[in-house]
Amino acid sequence: MANFLAQFHTIKNSSDHLVIAVEDVSDLWPIVKSEFEGRLPFKRASLNNKTRNSVFVENLTAEFILTTDSRLRSRFPLEQSLFWFREPYATVVLVTCEDLDEFRTILKPRLKLIVQNDEREWFIVFVSKAHPNNDQATKLAKKVYAKLEVEFSSKKRERCCKLDIHSPEANFWEDLESKIMESIRNTLDRRVQFYEDEIRKLSEQRLMPVWNFCNFFILKESLAFMFEMAHLFEDALREYDELELCYLETVNMTGKLRDFGGLDRGDDQAALLNPGSKPLTQIVQDDSFREFEFRQYLFSCQSKLLFKLKRAFEVASRGYSFIISFSKALALRENILPFCMREVWVITACLALINATASQYKDGPPDIEKEFYRLQGDLYSLCRVKFMRLAYLVGFGTEIERSPVNSALLSMLPWPKPAVWPLVPPDASSEVLVKEKMILQETPRVKHLGIQRKPLPLEPSLLLREANRRRASLSAGNMVEMFEGRPIFNDGSGSDASTKISPSQKVRASSMSRTNSSPGSFESSIDRPMRLAEIYVAAEHALQRTISNTDLWKSFSSLEEYEKKYLELTKGAADNYHHSWWKRHGVVLDGEIAAVCFKHGNFDLAAKSYEKVCALYAGEGWQDLLAEVLPSLAECQKILNDQAGYLSSCVRLLSLDKGLFLTKEREAFQSEVLRLAHSEMKDPVPLDVSSLITFSGNPGPPLELCDGDPGTLSVTVWSGFPDDITLDSLSLTLMATYNGDEGVKALRCPAAIVLKPGRNIITLPLPPQKPGSYVLGVLTGQIGHLRFRSHSFSKGGPADSDDFMIYEKPTRPILKVFKPRALVDLTAAISSALLINEPQWVGIIVRPINYSLKGAILHVDTGPGLKIEESHVIEMQSYVDVSQSAADMAKSDAAQKEGSLAVDKNFEQLRLHDGRIEFPNWANNVTSILWIPIRAISDGLARGSSSVSPLRQSIVDGMRTIALKLVFGVSHNQIFERHCHFPSFFQTLAVHFTDPFQVSTRIADKCNDGTLLLQVILQSEVKATLTINDAWLDLQDGFVHTTKGDGRPTSGFFPLVISPHSRAAILFSICLEMSNAEDEAKALQPESILNINYGISGDRTTGAHPPVAVESPGPKGARQDLIFRSSLVLQRPVLDPCLAVGFLPLPSGGLRVGQLVSMEWRIERLKDFEENEISKHNNEVLYEVGANSDNWMLAGRKRGHVSLSTKQGSRIVISILCMPLVAGYVRPPQLGLPDVDETNISCNPAGPHLVCVLPPALSSSFCIPA
Amino acid sequence: MIVCVAVVGHQNNPLYIQSFTEADDALKLHHIVHCSLDVVDERVNNPKKSGPTLNETFLGLLYPTENYKVYGYLTNTKVKFILVTTDLDVRDADVRNFFRRFHAAYVDAVSNPFHVPGKKITSRTFAERVSTIVKSFGSSSAG
Repeated sequence: MANFLAQFHTIKNSSDHLVIAVEDVSDLWPIVKSEFEGRLPFKRASLNNKTRNSVFVENLTAEFILTTDSRLRSRFPLEQSLFWFREPYATVVLVTCEDLDEFRTILKPRLKLIVQNDEREWFIVFVSKAHPNNDQATKLAKKVYAKLEVEFSSKKRERCCKLDIHSPEANFWEDLESKIMESIRNTLDRRVQFYEDEIRKLSEQRLMPVWNFCNFFILKESLAFMFEMAHLFEDALREYDELELCYLETVNMTGKLRDFGGLDRGDDQAALLNPGSKPLTQIVQDDSFREFEFRQYLFSCQSKLLFKLKRAFEVASRGYSFIISFSKALALRENILPFCMREVWVITACLALINATASQYKDGPPDIEKEFYRLQGDLYSLCRVKFMRLAYLVGFGTEIERSPVNSALLSMLPWPKPAVWPLVPPDASSEVLVKEKMILQETPRVKHLGIQRKPLPLEPSLLLREANRRRASLSAGNMVEMFEGRPIFNDGSGSDASTKISPSQKVRASSMSRTNSSPGSFESSIDRPMRLAEIYVAAEHALQRTISNTDLWKSFSSLEEYEKKYLELTKGAADNYHHSWWKRHGVVLDGEIAAVCFKHGNFDLAAKSYEKVCALYAGEGWQDLLAEVLPSLAECQKILNDQAGYLSSCVRLLSLDKGLFLTKEREAFQSEVLRLAHSEMKDPVPLDVSSLITFSGNPGPPLELCDGDPGTLSVTVWSGFPDDITLDSLSLTLMATYNGDEGVKALRCPAAIVLKPGRNIITLPLPPQKPGSYVLGVLTGQIGHLRFRSHSFSKGGPADSDDFMIYEKPTRPILKVFKPRALVDLTAAISSALLINEPQWVGIIVRPINYSLKGAILHVDTGPGLKIEESHVIEMQSYVDVSQSAADMAKSDAAQKEGSLAVDKNFEQLRLHDGRIEFPNWANNVTSILWIPIRAISDGLARGSSSVSPLRQSIVDGMRTIALKLVFGVSHNQIFERHCHFPSFFQTLAVHFTDPFQVSTRIADKCNDGTLLLQVILQSEVKATLTINDAWLDLQDGFVHTTKGDGRPTSGFFPLVISPHSRAAILFSICLEMSNAEDEAKALQPESILNINYGISGDRTTGAHPPVAVESPGPKGARQDLIFRSSLVLQRPVLDPCLAVGFLPLPSGGLRVGQLVSMEWRIERLKDFEENEISKHNNEVLYEVGANSDNWMLAGRKRGHVSLSTKQGSRIVISILCMPLVAGYVRPPQLGLPDVDETNISCNPAGPHLVCVLPPALSSSFCIPA
Repeated sequence: MIVCVAVVGHQNNPLYIQSFTEADDALKLHHIVHCSLDVVDERVNNPKKSGPTLNETFLGLLYPTENYKVYGYLTNTKVKFILVTTDLDVRDADVRNFFRRFHAAYVDAVSNPFHVPGKKITSRTFAERVSTIVKSFGSSSAG
């Protein structure tokens, strides 16, 4: 059956659509042909797939072929069964007949003959030529058609349809199509069944020795092809997949050693998308196929179907794994394949796959799209690796960047393993020279910025060694040994570049060693080890033989072409990766492109790409990789004169892990920074040095300041510079933690600062801040023209270079400024009044509240009526508040245990300068009391009062104020004037002053002889013991002392001691002076003056105390005599009463609550009223009864006129009904005469002050038993 | 042979990277590990793809290349372990076992109270333990 392969192949190529046979019985085809073919291809068809599920296919192509056509006639039966797929899938029988007899006799037998073949799917199209107007003919045609239907259609299946040529029925064509489709479907099902049966039979024999893969293949592919013709691509694909599986299982199973293939010219170009590249007959091998071609063939068939299914993505993904697995297969046969066949094949395969899939790919869902681009990138990348490997072999290795990506790809990729390493062609000596020259000319690639790095390897092992080993193994012995002893070769990472310095020497050396190690083995000059240049040339020639594609070969012909291709591949990979999820791959490849751009002087592009790469590495903290790229970026920026960028790159270099660069290199970076900062730049360049200079507050609690206080802030700054660095300026911002929008103020460092490498402590002056807590903000500074800033905050350790998430710092407050609060308390230490008009100590308690009063100054400004005794010193002493100390008993106990008494008395005398007092140092933190001598001045004389009209003295009279302003704080001298919120304390103290006594008088008794006993009551007003030494009374006119003299009391009474706030009284006996008319001339003294000579003994802490003496008074003895003067007004007694008001006695029964009582007053005129004619109604007297309404209820007129004769002796009684309301001694109602001056009224008999009111009588009604 | 193991933090920052090659070419392994994060990211960000293995820490083979294999492992805290091996014939079970032991070592290392989470692992004990695990990887796969 394998012999049919060629035929199968041609048949397959010639027919790619379904065939529908037309049995033209009545020569009708020419008439209907055009209309029939106009239905093709079938728009929509319903077929069954392999699993007998209905599938709709579109645009199904088919062809109508007459049965008389040669194509359908000349076939052998065997062929028919084998290539059944090309046989007609339906047979259309075209008939016409206009006569029933004719039908019966001729047509029917003929049709029966045609349709008897059971294999065919047939149906009859009856064509009616009858003209619609010709009724006769139409009727006849209908009759014949009816007969036809009866004969050939069955209930199960309609096999007839009728076409009126002149007026075809509307649904005829649909009917026809459905009939054709039914036939095709049935045929297809039957044939699928047939093939499946055959295949199953064959599969069962698979393990038998007779099994022939070719037969299996023909059957399987026939089935697949049939599916493909029927547009059932999915099924076709499945057949191919199964075929591939079966092939891979069987290809190496039989144990027969088969040819692999791949040795023909042009085989290096992958044919994985081109099924027709090689006829199958050429690759048949015994009963199977050669693997090399056949696997590609299968893949190409699969991919063709996948493209038809619009699954370009799947082509790419299957293709990639196919390339990888096929490459492995190639690797196994590398020794029989041409030199580097594998690499070349992979390159061409990748490129073919990329082109095909990229052109076929249509928009897919985003996930798939990303994946597709990733695959494209992978393909490009794979292609690129192989390309670079080949380029290395022909000597372009020096052009390949020794970057991590290239190293990763190439150094783990083994060298090609040809059976024998190619030999230099005999006539290639000139080329060898050229290569040698190239090797010699190549300047060792220097890293930028003088960085010394061992280059990364691009080769899995030394090419020189590998190539020579492969050559040597061909002839004799093992030449490996000849290199073994040489350290330079043992160094696996060493590049070939290291050996190229003097290849000839090396060869000599190696041949020497060879002679030493295995003498006499390789004396033949043919087997002399090849030099590197020779290896390159040999590889080049061998490659040229391998590569059949001229375009590809061109890429190896010159460096420019190589680079072009290299860039194309790299860009392709990078771009596709960028479209995929694999951003890192893309960016890294961008770096490779940048390297090429850099080499060609396209620094702009190079810088851009390098920046991307650096950002990638830096963003994720891959410092080792960053250290590899950053110098290149820096170099680009330097060349582009991008100073800011260059500086920042240098800073970044410096801030990388210290282990990544040598100290020398780091110093070079720093000097670059300094050189730029100090010289070339015109404009200041801002630069972020967060990674290099970090800062933190000092450990421990934050600095605490009170509102408005300045301070100094100490900050730790870590410098990552390898050397000392001088900062021209440095400032630091503080940020409030709660309100970020507050304008941040920078703290400036006053002078230039030299930062040592590592930890530095810097102190900054801190102006007053608003209340709140603050964290460190930004550090800014300047080096030359370089303006740097650092955001980064280290947590008290050196800057962690791997800590790239440094910005999100947990901030610890470094400064706390408290809300404004009372920092000091000034109170007057006075609990009671002081003596007026005497120098007195006023105590001011100064209590600092957790705040130092260092250097505080108190401004004292006295209010009106008060002055400071400036002649006297001010005393200051520490003060212990008794109530507080009681509360702090426990504390002070503890303090006492510690041995330091909490209270240590300080005392100091101070002077007042311009109203200012400077505080001594000891008073900084302790409560102290300040004693200021003051004197309240009152010009007025104290006034006494009589018992009759008590004089209420207003407390305000004795009030004086002292305005105090305390200026204190940390540096008030500088800032006080400007800042009003600076800690200063204003307070006005009120001090109460008073006379020592309050004097009131009353006439104690009036003797018959006219002597009056004047009782002078002295109420002590102060909290001090007063001692009266002497007292005398200067009487006013009209009064004289009864005894001749000054009226002093007996001296034996004195000294009279009056306790605080107690009363004493002195009696003076005076009498009225018999006034003479002559005396009128001298000035009248209107008031009497009471003079008291007294002493005072009091404590200044409690109140009034002995006046401040100019000289400090002795402890005892020296008696201070103070004089207190008070004026008294004595009233002369009433001398000429004209009316007498007498209170008539109350009823004897006494008064009782609720009982009406009649109060009666008698008014009697004592003298005539003649001379007093002022009053018109002399015979009337106005009266008024006053009573406390709480106590009394009055009935009757309380106020009114009563007539009273003007005659002397006339009298009248006024009575009023009253009812007492409360029990007890109450003041009775009083009768007043408002019109009459009080002096003219004599009370006789005088009314009682109080009357007794009894409680109400018991009411029996309350006692009635219930 | 395992040529490199790495611990990569949840922000894709390297926490520990140790190569086991004799040559001075650790940088290329850095590159391989770094690039393999692409695959980890892809798997993590595409729940559709990683559907069945969503809850599994072992990510399997990340990189089928011709010459080396990269395996990944993702802890619950999104720390990635990456293994680069030049063995092309590696059993999945071996790798799983390796990662399990490696994870245990990692957990011990970061449980050290002096270790700052998110910082590079500098513990010498950890390094020793890792190299033991790496060494035994070959033997266990052989046995």
